[in-house]
Amino acid sequence: MSIYQFKGKNSCIIEKMPQVPLLSSLGLREGMKVRVMSKQPLGGPIVVSMGNRSIAIAKDVANQILVKEVL
Amino acid sequence: MSCHTKEPEIHIEEGQIKVLLMGNPNVGKSVVFSKLTGMDVIASNYTGTTVTFTKGNIQHQGNHGVLIDVPGTYSLEATSPAEEVAVNMLDNEKADVIICVLDATNLERNLNFALQLQKYQIPIIFALNLTDVAEQQGISVDIDKLSVELGAPVVPTVAIRNIGLRDILKQAWIMAEKKTVDYGDIPENQDERWQRVGRIIQQVQQVEHRHPTLLEKLGDALIRPLTGIPASIIILALALGIVVGGGKGIRGLILLPLLNNFYVPFITNIVSTFLSEGLIFNVLVGEYGMLIKGIEWPFALILPYVFLFYIVLSFLEDSGYLPRLAVLVDSMLQRIGIQGGNIVPMIMGYGCAVPAILGTRASTSQKERIIVASVVSLAVPCAAQTGAFIALLGDRSVLVLVLVYLISLLAMFIGGMVLNKMIPGKSDPILLEIPNLLMPDRQSYLKKIYLRTKHFMLEAEVPMLLGVGFAALVAETGALNAVGGFIEPIIEGWLGLPREATIGLILGVIRRELAVLPLLELDLSTLQLLVASVVALFYLPCLSVLGVLIKEFRIKIALAIGISTFFLAFFIGGLINQVVTLVSMLL
Repeated sequence: MSIYQFKGKNSCIIEKMPQVPLLSSLGLREGMKVRVMSKQPLGGPIVVSMGNRSIAIAKDVANQILVKEVL
Repeated sequence: MSCHTKEPEIHIEEGQIKVLLMGNPNVGKSVVFSKLTGMDVIASNYTGTTVTFTKGNIQHQGNHGVLIDVPGTYSLEATSPAEEVAVNMLDNEKADVIICVLDATNLERNLNFALQLQKYQIPIIFALNLTDVAEQQGISVDIDKLSVELGAPVVPTVAIRNIGLRDILKQAWIMAEKKTVDYGDIPENQDERWQRVGRIIQQVQQVEHRHPTLLEKLGDALIRPLTGIPASIIILALALGIVVGGGKGIRGLILLPLLNNFYVPFITNIVSTFLSEGLIFNVLVGEYGMLIKGIEWPFALILPYVFLFYIVLSFLEDSGYLPRLAVLVDSMLQRIGIQGGNIVPMIMGYGCAVPAILGTRASTSQKERIIVASVVSLAVPCAAQTGAFIALLGDRSVLVLVLVYLISLLAMFIGGMVLNKMIPGKSDPILLEIPNLLMPDRQSYLKKIYLRTKHFMLEAEVPMLLGVGFAALVAETGALNAVGGFIEPIIEGWLGLPREATIGLILGVIRRELAVLPLLELDLSTLQLLVASVVALFYLPCLSVLGVLIKEFRIKIALAIGISTFFLAFFIGGLINQVVTLVSMLL
């Protein structure tokens, strides 16, 4: 499932990431535990938090990040 | 643009050391720079892809050195213009020492950068900054262990309060003595490097789980659509209220009475003791008197708005609200071909278009840069022009004032959509770090407002004086009548304005507010006020803006922007005049 479609308050683990250099420079990588904090309407970005930091990710990019829910 | 080692660009004197200041964006690097060098830099807000760097002098116990502020980057892979600058500096500048600023609240990502930097085998001192904020968040870092892990000195700092900065300088000269260092094998491979970062973090960092503070909860609420969108409307309305309402108050209650009751009689008296009434007398203290309007316009009509605008903008910037706003407006801005982050230069444009256009360097694609720069040049009134609009329309017709700003928003939207269709290419998707919501530090907040206001007024005063002097000469000598026949069909026929309005259009080339202010002296109908204001709004961006456009985008694009705004101004202004006149005739 992509992180854009991910619903719920649980954390999820990133399984696969697209090759976007800035994403990894911002500290996002495979195997990382993240939480989806908010999703903007009308094709806006989602905000993902990891630890005490948050990153806004565009819909197109978020659609390519695959995650697995942590129960 | 080559990978070979070139001659260093920055020269130092015998006995000086050369120090590079590096780090991730938004770690307080520019604060460190201005505190160490004693230089006032606010330009640091607009780094990103800047190809220019700032340098300043540092000294410690009689030793002298040069500190170079390198643009903040997330990595050293030369994938963006800012990173290219950083990599070139590391390759070519033959620095003695690097001061690398680390954000203690975000150590993991910062250490990844630190390790990449160590590959260059130049002596490094690490400044672990923002340790106070980290502490509030329950993050503690073992400085000694981190120093061992990195094989380099680590100094805890709170740059904004001068804590730890002296130690940094001391260490800089100690490390410069060393000449060579060996940081061992640094993993080339990204995954291995992150693994090493992970190991270091486990060794040195402890995070105590805390309940989120009120500010953290607020920060989260501001980014959720349900709470964030209403909040953004309230915040922007409040900002507008402070600038417009506050500006009117300061102007009407304090500045204008001071000016009219004390200054004007005083200066007129002085001049009349030296001069008898005549051309020179009128140029100095007459209708467009340089000593009257040259003081009244900039100080009583413009200054209050500029000052209040920077109070609001600096607060929004320092608190970390703007990136949140960027997330909320992203889907809207996508319609005009730019991503949400560009809201920041657009808002800056309401202060002055020059920093706004420089600020577009942070947008990654050229397409976005051109769209933002064009929209700001065309339809965003600067703080000075806002002051002028309020002076002109505030008392006579608030309806026209509101209408002018609605037309401005509409033009931004339509202009953006047209440019999005015209300019090939795609804009980059939004990828933005959301910083913690913070209460701005009082001292640096006040300093920022002071510096910006001072800078603006210094920039404004000389051209304004010259402009007013020119207007006075033209008005007094009747030179306007000479060109009258030539411009009559456009000004009087098409726009329906009196011939004297031409003065504003001539002066508007110099500064945007000067296209509006001369209208104050004319007796215009409501329709004329609207038409003249719309023409002034879209009219040429001022000389400084044209200069920046040429510098940033070359002459061709700058000319295209200038010429299209010029024609749009006359076209739309005249259209409004003709349509309203026609409709009122039919009714």
